Amino acid sequence: MESTVAAPVKTESPHTPTPVPGRRRKRPSTGLLSAVCTFGLLVLGCLFWHLGSALAWWSPATIPPLTEVTPALVEILGSGEFWGDAGRTGFEIAIAFVGGGAFGLLVGIGFWKAPTIGRVFEPYLVSFYAVPLVLFYPVMIVIVGINQWSVIILASIMAGIPMALNTWVGLSGLPPVYLKLARSLGCNPRQTMFEVALPAAAPFIVAGLRLAVVYALIGAVAMEFVTASAGLGFRIRYLYESFDTVEMFVYVLVVLAMSLALTFLLSVAERALLRGRAGR
Amino acid sequence: MSQPGIQISDLSVEFAGGDADPVTAVSGVSQEIDAHRFVSIVGPSGCGKSTLLNVVAGLQQPTAGSIMIDGKPVTGPDRRIGLVFQEDSTLPWKTTTDNVAFGMRILGVAKRDQQRRAQEMIDLVGLQGFEQSYPAMLSGGMRQRVALARTLAQQPSVLLMDEPFAALDQQTRILLGAEVRRIWRQTKQTVLFVTHDLSEAILMSQQVWVMSYRPGRIIDVIDVDLPDDRDASVVSTPAFNELQNRIWSTLQQEAMRGFVAESTAA
Repeated sequence: MESTVAAPVKTESPHTPTPVPGRRRKRPSTGLLSAVCTFGLLVLGCLFWHLGSALAWWSPATIPPLTEVTPALVEILGSGEFWGDAGRTGFEIAIAFVGGGAFGLLVGIGFWKAPTIGRVFEPYLVSFYAVPLVLFYPVMIVIVGINQWSVIILASIMAGIPMALNTWVGLSGLPPVYLKLARSLGCNPRQTMFEVALPAAAPFIVAGLRLAVVYALIGAVAMEFVTASAGLGFRIRYLYESFDTVEMFVYVLVVLAMSLALTFLLSVAERALLRGRAGR
Repeated sequence: MSQPGIQISDLSVEFAGGDADPVTAVSGVSQEIDAHRFVSIVGPSGCGKSTLLNVVAGLQQPTAGSIMIDGKPVTGPDRRIGLVFQEDSTLPWKTTTDNVAFGMRILGVAKRDQQRRAQEMIDLVGLQGFEQSYPAMLSGGMRQRVALARTLAQQPSVLLMDEPFAALDQQTRILLGAEVRRIWRQTKQTVLFVTHDLSEAILMSQQVWVMSYRPGRIIDVIDVDLPDDRDASVVSTPAFNELQNRIWSTLQQEAMRGFVAESTAA
């Protein structure tokens, strides 16, 4: 039957049009544009900051001048203490993101596989979402002691919840025809999961990942604020309590830069993971 | 001598209706399709056409009766059977080529054959030039071609189509219907085609089965003796009209019965 390919009927219908040029060609220019815009905004922001300090729109105790923060930034970036703090916070975020994300993914899959359990636990999971988990730090300290694991555990939970909910919503919303297709092809459970269900739910899972990284960061820094004896969050609180506004601002800027970098990385990953889908 | 294609023997399907009475979707259907024949089922909505098709596909167990394909029984999902769905079943994360190769991948066809056969099927359904496109860039009709190519690439001996054009606009339906007929005349699969569109059924097939409203029975079998190389212009011939009138006279009562039953239930 393969050798009998005849010339297909050529129709002038809109259903056999010529290939449309890919949207991809437009992307570098929009990427460049957004990079230029980002840089421009950054310059404007610095200018505003400098101007505000120079014209005394605010007191140096509120926001120290850029001219003081910049040398402090350079100095701090060269210090071992900073890299110790940054390394510790980075490690906490990474573990919370990977561990919480993986755990959330598994929970989401489990809820989908066992809808009854999912329906029982969903309201608690959703309301847990709204609880400021930092409140549980005394419990954590009692359980694991005053060390970075109390930070990691709470940040993991914060990262895991949106991941679990998104995975679950994504899987429950699968078009039934995909599962019917999988069944008609005789897919085994592993193929159904990895070849059909998870890729189909990928837009939700990736959105879950983006939330997870944000929550891991918030969780880690906020927990360090209250419990830790090292880390970027701890350092900010320490400097603020010792009225060292300049150095505190340096650390605040570093945390800001970190969250921007993580968001950027995730958006790059998102684009790669969701290639070809509508609107991308 | 004609070979057996699809044999349906004394088939019944009941659904446990929860606390209500069980619903009999299909009742006592016994029909045969010779290999390489194209048969359509028409019937009012809710008559169990899709249920019948699901059972033939091995996706659903019958309450009683059996299905044989090429003389061997169907016990579950089966690689001799290719399904084309009503809904868009292209996978949005795969290019046309990867979508067409997907069925073969699951069935464990060798990589090299996958590429070659995928390209042949893409050519067959007229999607040359769109090999690297994602479904989001294709129209509904083109996506349905991708799904058809995927099914054909599995080289099934039986093709089951469940209202494959229902989600498309009228012009696309007519064009795609002609394409399916052209492809069938080349590949000669045994086809069972479900539709609720009378003229589509007559236009496409060699035989039309009329199904009753619940419980679904085959209440009439009409041979379509129109020329094999017919095109859409056959719609205006007296022979076509006669067929249409005959099917409609049977179908009308059933459609009415179904309409009344559905509206009193609601």
